[in-house]
Amino acid sequence: MPVYGVSHVDNLRVCVVMVGLPARGKSFISQKIVRYLSWLSIATRSFSVSSYRREEYKLQPTADFFDPANIDGLHIREQATDDALKNIIKWMNEENGCVAILDGSNVTKQKRQLVCQVLKNHKIEPIFLESFCDDETMVNSMMLDINATSPDYTGKSSKYATEDLLTKINYYKKYYEPMDLADEKDLSFIKLINVNSQIIINKIESYLESRIAYYIMNLHIKPRYIWLSRHGESQYNLEGKIGGDADLSERGMKYARKLKDLVAQYIPNHENIEVWTSTLRRTNQTAQFLPNPKKQWKALDELDAGSCDGLTYDEIEREFPEDFKARDENKFEYRYRGGESYRDVIVRLEPIIMELENQENVLVITHQAVLRCIYAYFMNVPQEESPWMSIPLHTMIRLEPRAYQTIVTRIKADIPAVSTYKEKGTSKLGESSNGGNVMAGEVISSSSSGSAGTASGHAVV
Amino acid sequence: MAAQVNNDIAEIEEPKIPGNYSARKQNRWIPATIQLSSNEDLTSSQELLVAPRSPVLNNRVSTASSHHHEDVDEIHKRISKFHVSPAQLYSTDSGKLYHAGSICIVLVGQPARGKTNLSISLCRYLRWLGVRANLFHMGDYRREKTNGLPHEFFDPKPESEEAAKARQELTNMVINDMVTFFQNDMGQIAIYDAVNGISSQRLALAKTLNDKQIKAVFIESLIDDEELLERNIADAAKSPDYLNWEENEAIADYKKRIEMVNRAYEEMNEDELTYIKFINFGERLFINNSKHDFLTTKVISYLMNSKIKSGSIYFARCSNNKLKFKSDPPIDDKGKKYATDLSATLLNHFESMGQSSFPKNMVVWTSARLRTTQLADVFKKHGLRVRHRPEMTQMNPGDAEGLSDDELQAKYPVDYANHNLDPYHHRYPRADSYHDIALKLEPLIMEMERMRNDILIIADETILRVFYGYLMASSCTDIPFISFPQEEIIKITYNAYMNKAFRIPIKDSDKS
Repeated sequence: MPVYGVSHVDNLRVCVVMVGLPARGKSFISQKIVRYLSWLSIATRSFSVSSYRREEYKLQPTADFFDPANIDGLHIREQATDDALKNIIKWMNEENGCVAILDGSNVTKQKRQLVCQVLKNHKIEPIFLESFCDDETMVNSMMLDINATSPDYTGKSSKYATEDLLTKINYYKKYYEPMDLADEKDLSFIKLINVNSQIIINKIESYLESRIAYYIMNLHIKPRYIWLSRHGESQYNLEGKIGGDADLSERGMKYARKLKDLVAQYIPNHENIEVWTSTLRRTNQTAQFLPNPKKQWKALDELDAGSCDGLTYDEIEREFPEDFKARDENKFEYRYRGGESYRDVIVRLEPIIMELENQENVLVITHQAVLRCIYAYFMNVPQEESPWMSIPLHTMIRLEPRAYQTIVTRIKADIPAVSTYKEKGTSKLGESSNGGNVMAGEVISSSSSGSAGTASGHAVV
Repeated sequence: MAAQVNNDIAEIEEPKIPGNYSARKQNRWIPATIQLSSNEDLTSSQELLVAPRSPVLNNRVSTASSHHHEDVDEIHKRISKFHVSPAQLYSTDSGKLYHAGSICIVLVGQPARGKTNLSISLCRYLRWLGVRANLFHMGDYRREKTNGLPHEFFDPKPESEEAAKARQELTNMVINDMVTFFQNDMGQIAIYDAVNGISSQRLALAKTLNDKQIKAVFIESLIDDEELLERNIADAAKSPDYLNWEENEAIADYKKRIEMVNRAYEEMNEDELTYIKFINFGERLFINNSKHDFLTTKVISYLMNSKIKSGSIYFARCSNNKLKFKSDPPIDDKGKKYATDLSATLLNHFESMGQSSFPKNMVVWTSARLRTTQLADVFKKHGLRVRHRPEMTQMNPGDAEGLSDDELQAKYPVDYANHNLDPYHHRYPRADSYHDIALKLEPLIMEMERMRNDILIIADETILRVFYGYLMASSCTDIPFISFPQEEIIKITYNAYMNKAFRIPIKDSDKS
């Protein structure tokens, strides 16, 4: 199915070309764009020039390699850009890619003209994204992150890495030409100066590109957590029914009370967080004991099961056998009769994600399918997998978005609840023991106060 | 068992912060006393609040009621303290959105830089989002005070003392009115449309506002494209200032005015101010000191997408409006006939404007339901691009589906009463409200702003009302009752000062 989610232009192919010195957050921004657009089902991939350099030439070079006087180094780096571009074109042609990100430094005007030309020849719209930063503190904090995570410095000491990176940056500075309007006013570009303190947006041509720009403007790099929870166990959960607008069960009500303690115990500055719920009774009842300001969002309502609303999976299998099968075969795309698909849910969640990126402290209390979608965004879970993730009841989830990954911690409330997880090909509920329910990319770690064994809840290890 | 459990459920608590309500709550900003105490002096809008009305039978009141201003762009209507906006998300303690505080958007730019248009369209978007925004055009104040147009008035640094004094007086009047709007009318964004071309005056203005806890965000409109400027000067010479003028004389006079301003004009580069340079109507933006506040980001995003339109928006209803929400049958013969008539009428309309076919770049938007997608097939045959948008699925009537007015009242007495009080925000159990739809459609509205060409929107009446409400700045008390007869196409054209709506009757193609 073709996706026109964020573009009215046919067959639009865009390449975001990153520009900037090392340690300017280019890879971070690239990763974020990939995450956001893939989540919206727009085929997006990042092509890192340095990884081509590493793969093709097996190089983990020292700073000298980047000295403009080093002809070999220059040649190899040009070759790596060529390789990345070739792969972008191949990917777009053969796999219907829509947005590619050329994650490299592209620091000279000549290089940018060249890249622009190659892309245009292949009917790919280039949009340059420069991260310009001359604020030393910002650069230093980004450098620390790179030292810890860059494959160029695997196995090297932090002191060595810092010195080497600084030398490398200085070499780059010798030929760095920031983007300017005198020579490059015909290029589409976004220039971020000291993260977001100044922004230049030039010649944005399509709605898709403007969404990318808007998204980048909403990003911030302050450390923060996002807290998620499903509603407490509901009457419908007990009866194995889906959808509906049921009240909480007795155990669900216990969780609602416990949630107040969990929030107080685990969330730093919990008095400042805002609680977001859906408009349905079960999430509002779950939030009712929290003293925090609350916001109800229709967009957080559970996936609408249409004609199947209020039925058990057994009943659905009996009454709508074809639908039951079709849904198992492509759960992401399957739209319940008169209801919604996972894709539909993602479309309506987009404004929520945008606001979540902008916010600092939020606890979201919502439903299984909606949480799967939110979770998929932060954890980069592919759409074939996301509808099958298990998100148990009576568990608070903490997400910590970092530059290269999001770290997840689950805090279990120790209140029993039924499982609402349904595996493929069966109408029975409950997780099987073979681990098919593990969420992709997840790191489960225990929170220190939780594992101290207090009676009021413990973290899963 | 279930009953026992219910006993355990405390009533859902009212939010601790008054006013921080969800969309489900009605009467936001409307103190209860206002509704109850004004029996003697019922105005038409209050009548609306008490008139019993069923969601299913909305149409019947649409023409009869006196409050209904059909097809009028209400963007220039001053909003009152009790105004509630279509996409109002929530309100905070102070009645403000986004915890963003009070903001004054100050337009900066020489004449003929599209400042007034920009301020109007920005106000339209912000109001729709639920921000209480009002426009303050210096031009209106000036016209009110002076009859003739002494050019000296436009000189930012006038030589005569008298002119300088008159200028200052007007400026003070605008500022006072804006402050009143913030302080007494719960305003959140005032849009101040004037030249504001002198750096020292801008700094002074920012300070005056800042002292009153109002943040100033400047938007400077610049044009460095000569051709664009010429076109814009010709447009501007049609403004209310030149009501009975010859075109050429008006242009000449206007150019004189521009010259006067240019002599002293200083482009923005004050580091300490938050400003956005809006260059060549959005071709380029430069943002200084954005500080990451959500509302400013929203404004920037709007500016990025706001394009000068050459096309119009057309609305048509889907072929069968009597279907149950959950059913999705293919269109029947009547629907096919409707499709033929619709496309013939529209084609005829374009022909009457001197075109031989549908505009090449026209796009058709439909919901994902067969009643609209199959209807659009006829346009595909004409080579138009058709896009299915699941966000445009009709309003879900929830548990109220199929119930008559009386049945609703009997089954859901409380909901029924609440619905009549606020048909825009109220939702029956499991249903959508208009407000829910507005939030869902926001990304589409943004996309619509970016598109320069014609768009045909085929959807259920409930969806059309929300789009229409945006384009014509309708208030939420009116939106649920805007009527779109099946046999009409609504055309909305973008105009500088206000949008215009036309109705085109769909002809029976067998009879012509």
